[in-house]
Amino acid sequence: MAAALVAARRDERALADRPASTPAGVHPLADKKPASDEPFVAEPERWRGPQGRTGQFVVHCTYSHSGPNDPIVHYAMTGMSHRHDFYGAEHTDADTSPDSMLADSTTCDKTADRAAYWQPTVYDHGEIVVPEDMSAYYRAAPGVDPQAVEPFPLGLAMLAGDQFATKPQTGEAAGWTCGVRTDLSVEPPECDPSAPLHLVLTFPDCWDGEYLDSEDHTSHVAYSAGGECPAAIPVHVPQLTVSIRFPISGPGHDLTLASGEVITAHGDFFNGWEPEGLETEISACIRRGAVCDLASNREEEALFSYTR
Amino acid sequence: MRNRNVRLIGAAAAFVALATVVSGCGSDGGGSEGSGDKTETGGGGDLEAIRVPQDYETIQEAVDNAAEGDLVLVDEGTYNEAVTVETPDITIRGVDRNKVILDGEFELENGIRVVDTDGVVVENMTARNYVSNGFFWTGSDRYRGSYLTAYRNGDYGIYAFDAYHGQLDHSLGSGSPDAGFYIGECYKCDAVIDDVISEYNGLGYSGTNSGGDLYIINSTFRNNRAGIVPNAGSYELCYPGRENTIVGNIVHDNNYLEGPGIDVSLLAQGNGILLAGSINNVIERNLVYDHERTGIAAVPFPEEDASDTPPTGDELTKPCDEVKDDPVPEESPGLVLWEATGNRVVDNVVEGSGLADIASGTIPADAENLKRLDNCFSGNNPAKTSPTDLEALAPCEGEGSGGDFAAGAFDLLVLINEQPPAPAKDSYQTTPEPEAQDNMPDALTKAWEKFEGPETPDVDAITVPEKPTS
Repeated sequence: MAAALVAARRDERALADRPASTPAGVHPLADKKPASDEPFVAEPERWRGPQGRTGQFVVHCTYSHSGPNDPIVHYAMTGMSHRHDFYGAEHTDADTSPDSMLADSTTCDKTADRAAYWQPTVYDHGEIVVPEDMSAYYRAAPGVDPQAVEPFPLGLAMLAGDQFATKPQTGEAAGWTCGVRTDLSVEPPECDPSAPLHLVLTFPDCWDGEYLDSEDHTSHVAYSAGGECPAAIPVHVPQLTVSIRFPISGPGHDLTLASGEVITAHGDFFNGWEPEGLETEISACIRRGAVCDLASNREEEALFSYTR
Repeated sequence: MRNRNVRLIGAAAAFVALATVVSGCGSDGGGSEGSGDKTETGGGGDLEAIRVPQDYETIQEAVDNAAEGDLVLVDEGTYNEAVTVETPDITIRGVDRNKVILDGEFELENGIRVVDTDGVVVENMTARNYVSNGFFWTGSDRYRGSYLTAYRNGDYGIYAFDAYHGQLDHSLGSGSPDAGFYIGECYKCDAVIDDVISEYNGLGYSGTNSGGDLYIINSTFRNNRAGIVPNAGSYELCYPGRENTIVGNIVHDNNYLEGPGIDVSLLAQGNGILLAGSINNVIERNLVYDHERTGIAAVPFPEEDASDTPPTGDELTKPCDEVKDDPVPEESPGLVLWEATGNRVVDNVVEGSGLADIASGTIPADAENLKRLDNCFSGNNPAKTSPTDLEALAPCEGEGSGGDFAAGAFDLLVLINEQPPAPAKDSYQTTPEPEAQDNMPDALTKAWEKFEGPETPDVDAITVPEKPTS
């Protein structure tokens, strides 16, 4: 019953009103949910260990481009943001909208994925580090009934991690690791060249069913706990975990982010998936509990540096 | 001659089917409930099938509208489709293996992907130019792929993952950077690879964490970077790979440097049958020749930042399903060396190997470590072995000679560092185009038949194959 209600609301607002019909000059995220008074709890329950314990699909996207833009936080304000590295939709800039993403080409191997993914540029001793690529894992969060997982609405905007953090973030929405490991640390660890540094971001997996964005960019979404979404944010969406690979290994690095110290690690997701393609992957892989893809660990796995 | 007949029959069938659609349906063919519009084909007399493109324009539509027990018969043509199958117990068959072509145009992901759906048989067609895989079963039991050609696909040619009771036969996998054929993450798999050809891939066969009643028999693995490579690692479940039976294959010239290859294949380069961290395998009566490194070798698979340590004792006999949800250490155990142990290498004909015809290795290569591997070798008549006199040191019957396992042992660290450069990521897109392959003999007459799983092959009856003349 609640689900039907939510679906109706979603259809009404998110799907019928927003895309395609947004008047010129009005950004599709302009109608934001007011920020909640409640503190945002960023404590994702994460899958750990080997892949394959639950259904999943994985998108691999190469690094696309960088720019001082952020179509979620500073939309239509070119140059207002700190520097970001973009993946997925190839022309993401301050004016990016769901329509522009759908019309864009993508750096992702699943061509239906024209979403935009980004993170603040990493600097090493003040020099820009060009990232290599990212893997986006889409799964039901631990404990969540896979059958309950609905697609992200087109244009959904989400953040993972806290760009304003002044002390180490708790909760592992954003963290660092080596290779495809699933244990995270708040400071970048020293990694072997065969399993280099990765930034791992886990996005909220509950949505309010109504707003594509909120004033604080968090109040329209939430993390599930014990397999349940909060009553006010009831729609289960995939748990999106993005793992970004940097060509950083060995000792002697001094890393910072365009947003500040490494403790400000965060990332953004702006959904530009072709709706039919996203629905197919969710129904075939997540709801059926099938492993449709694996991260290409074998490309990254050790072996070669064994003697280094 | 046979091809010409097929074409004529196909044309007749197409005409009949078209007439059916026009008179009976009056729509674009979609939208029927349950079992789709079935057409009696001209070619097979009373063969009942859902025809593509006559009944449905696309394979996807036909499959979506099919029901258990249906045969989807695909006519000659090139189909730019990525088909996802969620209809159990159907057969998807091409009328001509070489002329029914699924083409991903290096854009689409998988030719045919069977997802968590049992009893799906795919036969007599070609899948090429997919970014991921040609034919792919995941979480799907009772799978069969027969008379399939998969080439120039970006991950695997023919690929089964977390799937049981399967059979891949009379098929060709060519030009993939990972493996031409792959069966992974299953124990006990109950699967048979029989009479296939795998060439110009990174790996001819690869299987991570798979085995148990898994047979690779009567097949040819040639001109890959490495031939048959069962392996292990804790980045996926059900580690390690074990209990594969590899008998009666022709494995030769797996030194191919011009083709595609993932990193692991660069490491495995130049080996015929390489047991990389896979245990308790039986390798018998294969013909293995002309490899730059070894003919048949058992070596460890080092995994940096592993998720878990190797299971021991009873854990090794538990079905995959029972260990899937076992907890792993909170922190990575770091570097784990998956040892290739307990392998039995008997009565193979191995020749023309650069370093050794048969080998057993580990790191570090001291005598005690090597002895402990408990791999055994008999009747292979090797010209050169590592360690020296391996068949005397570690025979499969009776006591070993008691000699020095360290003598002539490989320094694998040196070998690991001698890798060829990685090929370009898109090098799979230009691999050799395969010749026309044999058609399924009864493609136009055989009715749908439920696939219950493979028959256990009579491996004792398999003898060492003859060396091909060309």
